[in-house]
Amino acid sequence: MTLFLQIALDGILNGMLYAIVALGLTLIWGVMDVINFAHGEFLMIAMYVSYWLGFLMNIDPLVSWVASSVFVFLLAFVTYKLMVSHLVGKPALSALLATFGLSMFLKNLCLNRFSPNFKLLPVTVLSGKTIPVGSLILSLPQLVIAVFSLAVIFIVYRFIASTRMGWAIQATAMDKEAAELMGIDTEKIYGLVFGLGGACVGIAGGLLPTYMPVHPEVGSLFGLIAFICVAMGGFGSITGSLFASLLVGLVEAFAGFYIAPIFKYVAVFALYLVIVMLKPKGLFGW
Amino acid sequence: MKWHWSKRVLALVVVLLFVGIAGDAAFSQEKVIKIGTLFPLTGPVALAGQRCKAAVETAVEVINNSYPDIKVPLAAQEGILGGYKIVLVHADHQGKPDIGKTEAERLFDQEGVYAIIGSYNSAVTKPASLVAERRKKLFMCGCSSSAELTKRGMKYFFRMAPTDETESQEFVTFVKWLNETKGADLKTFGVIYENTEFGKHAAEEAKKAIEAAGFQYVADVAFNPGATNLNSEVQMLKGKNPDVVFGACLGADYILWVRTMKQLAWLPKVCLNYCSGYQDPIIAQQLGPDGDYFMGTTGYSPELAELMPAVAPVEEIYKTKIDPPVPFDSDSIQEAVATFVLAQAIDKAGTLDPDKVAETLYANEWESPLSLGGKVAFAPGGQNIKAMSVVTQLKDGEYRRVFPPELANSDPIFPIPSWDKR
Repeated sequence: MTLFLQIALDGILNGMLYAIVALGLTLIWGVMDVINFAHGEFLMIAMYVSYWLGFLMNIDPLVSWVASSVFVFLLAFVTYKLMVSHLVGKPALSALLATFGLSMFLKNLCLNRFSPNFKLLPVTVLSGKTIPVGSLILSLPQLVIAVFSLAVIFIVYRFIASTRMGWAIQATAMDKEAAELMGIDTEKIYGLVFGLGGACVGIAGGLLPTYMPVHPEVGSLFGLIAFICVAMGGFGSITGSLFASLLVGLVEAFAGFYIAPIFKYVAVFALYLVIVMLKPKGLFGW
Repeated sequence: MKWHWSKRVLALVVVLLFVGIAGDAAFSQEKVIKIGTLFPLTGPVALAGQRCKAAVETAVEVINNSYPDIKVPLAAQEGILGGYKIVLVHADHQGKPDIGKTEAERLFDQEGVYAIIGSYNSAVTKPASLVAERRKKLFMCGCSSSAELTKRGMKYFFRMAPTDETESQEFVTFVKWLNETKGADLKTFGVIYENTEFGKHAAEEAKKAIEAAGFQYVADVAFNPGATNLNSEVQMLKGKNPDVVFGACLGADYILWVRTMKQLAWLPKVCLNYCSGYQDPIIAQQLGPDGDYFMGTTGYSPELAELMPAVAPVEEIYKTKIDPPVPFDSDSIQEAVATFVLAQAIDKAGTLDPDKVAETLYANEWESPLSLGGKVAFAPGGQNIKAMSVVTQLKDGEYRRVFPPELANSDPIFPIPSWDKR
């Protein structure tokens, strides 16, 4: 039983990491109908910001996540202004191809500037620390990311549900033209949402160097899994992406242990196929 | 009179053709041998690939120029075969077999290279060397360790490093020695490996060696390289709790594996690693004390320098070609050995005919001061039968030699101290 609970715990902690990565993606899709293919690379950039702040200035990721988040917010905002703003309202494929190009650009830029070498902060406040809970072991770096993830999801959810700006975001998502007639600056809303999506993944990227090495390819699989979580949860549904992320984390953990570790991503992608076949708009899609 | 545009284009083509032909003619008169390198220069094991490339460049610099103070074959003369210089053409396979095969085809068919040196990943070496074999061209492999590579009966393929078969036997011999001389009482074994040509063959050889020695093989854990986490993998090891774990994890995956074992508060009593992330001095540095007490085979590390005095001056050149400047490691030095042996064989054969050079490679025993065994000689299939390695243990950033006893400079520390008692 202990082993079962430990595996479930691992799955939930990993699921919460996927959830904060997927949150930004689902926000952007929900409001703008744009799939940001460079989302994984935004995560990678955030990890580099955190790594370099740790390496050069000895700032721990527990602090530098703020800088990572702000940096990726600005990067996403600039990306929106320079590229995505010209593609909103055009066929979804245009934005997808453009952000795919951006992902290649960012990856190759990092290859060029930082080399393909993987980089790891040898010592951080959290690295390697664990908390025993009865016979279970909680990995502190993963626990902190999970707590951040829950907090960020809650804040974003409340922000959208209960603030004037959030209502403006909802109005823009529902009907852009009607929102403009009501005096909402939809261009500003789009920029803010794209930046907010970047900031969410920036927080995850800022904290990840506590246990994960950084290299230009590190965001690719995270980006893909985030996309799957968003598609499974229902594009645009924050609750759906949280639920789907937890499901992905649990399936990955249980399939990895009870079938074979090599099977864990097969199980995740198989689940994705089954869900999109049965519910093409995702579990919480409309 | 104005020229018609088509005449201008025709004139331009003629000029370009002339320049091209003249250029080719000039190039062919320069007496150069183009050799391709095929390594993972990007991707999760890029660090290792870049070092392998730098090692080949180092060997070529020594071969092309006169270094009378360096005591390795061909160092005292300039070039080979009466003044031929080696020119390298580099290719990046990103750790992907399909790209490796395509790049090998490009190197031979478009770049016109004479031979290829590579490819670090066994999974890439396998298809890339088949490309060479079909064209009857030489493929010199430094460090890919899958035993399968030299069991294919190929004629133009030569590998310098020990195989995972010999490493598995060495690991089991070491564990038996620990049991017999140190009362270690190690009985159960597990293997964690990446699901690639390298990892799968390492695991197969490990299983054979473990079972042949009468030990119990209790955990077989494969994983996808580049995974987002290795929790299930380590949970599975922890669940089976083997006394000894053999690891075949490269690059960033090795770091993640060690870190995940720490997060899940588990360690085996003894952990032995194939040619993998363990041997990488940068990884050892990045892991810091967390990397201590792990063991593995080593064909070269600075701590072995006293056994191989010829390495030091070559290593100085190598350090100028790699950023940050690090010493040779077990893998990269084998690529330098591959380059020196190929150059010696061409020089001795007195011809660039690949058949003659391959025959010469088989027929002779080659001086190799950069190899722990000091010599290189090939069995049918292309395996270097003089390949040697020692078992080392990482402690305070140093690779201490612990086995065999006649080459050891330190006693092995086991069981590995638990994470909370360091």
